[in-house]
Amino acid sequence: MADAIPVHAAERLKGLRSSAHSTGVFTSDFSVNEFLLVRKAGFEPIGLCVGTCVYHVGIQYGSWSKNQELDVLSKAMYHARELAMARMRAEAAAMGADGIVGVKLTIKRLEWDEHLLEFIAIGTGVVHGDGHKGFRAHDGGPFTSDLSGQDFWALLHSGYRPVEMVMGSCVYHVAHRGVLSGLGAAGRNVEMENFTAAMYEAREIAVERMQFEAAAAKAEGVVGVDIHEGSHGWQTHVIEFFAIGTAVLPLDQEIAPEKIADPIMVLSVND
Amino acid sequence: MGLFDVFKGPTPAQKAAAEASAHRQADILFSLRANRPPTSTLQRLQEARAGKLPWIATLTPAELMIARSHGLRPISAVSATSWLHYGWSWTEGHAQGWGLALTRLKEEAKAAGANAVLDVKMRTIPLTVENSMDFTLIGTAVFVEGLPASRDPIVATVPALEFVKLLEADVVPTGIAVGAHYEWMADWQGNADRRWMGNIESHALSNLWETVRHRAHANLRAHARDQGNGVLAHLNFSQMFEREEKDQPKQYLARHIVIATTVDARRGQEFPHDIKMAVDMHQGRSPLNTSGRHHQSYATNESEGGI
Repeated sequence: MADAIPVHAAERLKGLRSSAHSTGVFTSDFSVNEFLLVRKAGFEPIGLCVGTCVYHVGIQYGSWSKNQELDVLSKAMYHARELAMARMRAEAAAMGADGIVGVKLTIKRLEWDEHLLEFIAIGTGVVHGDGHKGFRAHDGGPFTSDLSGQDFWALLHSGYRPVEMVMGSCVYHVAHRGVLSGLGAAGRNVEMENFTAAMYEAREIAVERMQFEAAAAKAEGVVGVDIHEGSHGWQTHVIEFFAIGTAVLPLDQEIAPEKIADPIMVLSVND
Repeated sequence: MGLFDVFKGPTPAQKAAAEASAHRQADILFSLRANRPPTSTLQRLQEARAGKLPWIATLTPAELMIARSHGLRPISAVSATSWLHYGWSWTEGHAQGWGLALTRLKEEAKAAGANAVLDVKMRTIPLTVENSMDFTLIGTAVFVEGLPASRDPIVATVPALEFVKLLEADVVPTGIAVGAHYEWMADWQGNADRRWMGNIESHALSNLWETVRHRAHANLRAHARDQGNGVLAHLNFSQMFEREEKDQPKQYLARHIVIATTVDARRGQEFPHDIKMAVDMHQGRSPLNTSGRHHQSYATNESEGGI
């Protein structure tokens, strides 16, 4: 019977939950504001979770004059990130975390070998203060999110909870333009349609993949999406298109729009 | 794929993917020429609008909160690109490039059944191809609960927080206007060269700048007129070059580009809110006083390149 537990024991039990790490010490990379807002949202940090993966990326050349996805590279970028994320998540699960907030994904090229890339995923594992299990991801494991503590608070207050960090990647070779096709263009501003088409296709593939991941996580939507391009030391015409965001689901009782507090206009005193 | 796999030729899966890609690119070209979104994009957008696919928003959670409380619902991130090769005019190319991308973005928004595109960012992919540039716009298409889909969705370069702030003040951001002008000046009499004189204005160059800037701004005004009754200018770009050729007078090129958010605002409308002073709990950059990048995934690896 729950009410038979003495007050002190219950407090101790709660205390155990909030410092669930076996060392009794929590670690996090939260700033002060982030820490306060995560706690305000009803969560306690228990420990930093890290996942690393050093990956040898294979070789693939695109045809000089062809727009095409370099699937070997796409798969490498995907697989390596997935490994780093999964390891971080396993560490969180071992700590008993309900989720990981403030995940930062970084990538570095190792100096001595241009084909070696290092992927790092790091974030703070958190548990719900009252032991509410409803915040876990669809598979019962910890949720993952790249949202900061502040954004985490705001998300819960808009009636949503994070489920999973989702991403889509497409490494693409943009065709080199033939010399002859350039001559006809002298004088006028003309669209280079094959370049435009390359951008469209590559971006579409990346977004489609991210959306597919979100659907697989049974999410309603994806917030904080960033779509950008990057080159990781490949040939000049090889570009990675990358889409990343946090898949979200409505809370058990989704907040009706009229219940969301009215905004207050403020003048920030910060710099 | 190892080094020697290169000689093996493509696998059946790779062949199928190559065919699908060729098909998709043909469709993209065909659709863009017909001024409509590519078929696969169209389908994805419509499914997201119907709730069959997860919605996608570039909004932060705080922005999502404010958007929801004002009846805005995200549909999907939308984007448009136009890659332009410059002929005679680099300067006017910018106006054309952004103009074309804007038209395409609106078509995507329309296809998604949106009323507006928020948080529109102007982007250029870091791939330099001589005498050309890509003009890319990326934003989040939203619909307003209870309103029918718009035949002419508005395009707002401001993030959702500022969008709502403007709406509450009865100001509607409507689009992007570009003003661009360039001029060459041949200096027959050496007027621009003031090397041997003391403190003296170089009238020739001053005049050149004055003309170019005035015309660029007049151009902006003309371009903005079809979209709204005002602009909030947020980007001015100018360059001047000197060119010397044998047996020719020195030539000077001045070019100026101004890009602005157009707004539709009623004159004399009072701002309905009191202002409160507040300490913002966000770290560093804050959506309260910036409209910059709002993603934290890349904070630690700026020098390495985004993941």
